[in-house]
Amino acid sequence: MNNSHPSEKEIQQWAADPSGSSPVMNSHMQSCAQCKAEAEIYRLLFSKIKQQPAEEFDFDLSEMVLSQLPKAKTRLSVDNLIAGFLLVFTCCCIAIPVWLFRQNILNMFSDIPPFFIYTIIGSTSIIFLVKIGSLYKKFQNQMRLLNYN
Amino acid sequence: MNHTKGNNPDDKQLIDRILRGDTRAFGTIVKNTERLVTQILYKMIPVSEDRKDLAQDIYMKVFRSLPGFKFQSKISTWIAQITYNTCLSWIEKKKLYFPGNLQEEDDRSPVSHEAVYNMPRNSVETERILFQKEVSVILKKEIESLPPVYQTLIILFHNESMSYDELSQITGLPEGTIKSSLFRARKTLKENLLSKYQKEAL
Repeated sequence: MNNSHPSEKEIQQWAADPSGSSPVMNSHMQSCAQCKAEAEIYRLLFSKIKQQPAEEFDFDLSEMVLSQLPKAKTRLSVDNLIAGFLLVFTCCCIAIPVWLFRQNILNMFSDIPPFFIYTIIGSTSIIFLVKIGSLYKKFQNQMRLLNYN
Repeated sequence: MNHTKGNNPDDKQLIDRILRGDTRAFGTIVKNTERLVTQILYKMIPVSEDRKDLAQDIYMKVFRSLPGFKFQSKISTWIAQITYNTCLSWIEKKKLYFPGNLQEEDDRSPVSHEAVYNMPRNSVETERILFQKEVSVILKKEIESLPPVYQTLIILFHNESMSYDELSQITGLPEGTIKSSLFRARKTLKENLLSKYQKEAL
């Protein structure tokens, strides 16, 4: 056996892409009939692999995939229109009476003595603070339960 | 880093359209990558019924993951990577025997083509002629007899003209392993074909 011959891997690489091989390799491949024959077998193999027909599905993959995708939400869907109408209607129901009877509403509060206003504000604030305190206590209890250490 | 590495502007526009809710643009991506996905599925999955479900599963994964695609590779390479990983998961789930050790081994042995050196000249000629005849039919069977990863690498490299770098991205294997695997796959194909022809010639 001639040890100066390139390895089979080098011959394969040369058969696949001669331009990527060294000049020494190229000149050996030009002059050595045995290596050239083997490279020729590989070239035929590569060309035959390339000629293999591509596998295909017998159904329309893109159609099947598209049918599974979530439907795109259109900006003016019926649901959106109804929700928008209800929102505008509700706003009108509140705003129109407030606008029409605005003077009466102001008069309603202007006749209340300041003592009552302070009482209302004070009691609301106390209820609000008590609620916050109880929520914080509840939160701390839950955190203590979760603290396994 | 080039954030649109290997992607043409059309791909970017298509992805932008999909992200804005235009699902029809996704159909174009499916059509553009269908061949590649099909090739991998046919090489990795032996059960034909499962290929259909997996193809659908792969594209649904692609659709869901599209907002996270960073354009660090070609969209086709990214989809091929998802396909390959989905196929591997399927093989693991089904606990199929997965032949083909992808460990590095010494491929530089000069003994490997001793048989060719020792052949008489006309024997090589005969092989060459025979090679050009019914080789396509037999080659298909021989490719199918290779381990799934080898089949996939051979088809992606030769039929889909993918580079070693792309194959490395798809399979997650180092480039050196890809080269060695391709070498062994081609060598096995060549040897099997030659032995087949010699038997038939007898």
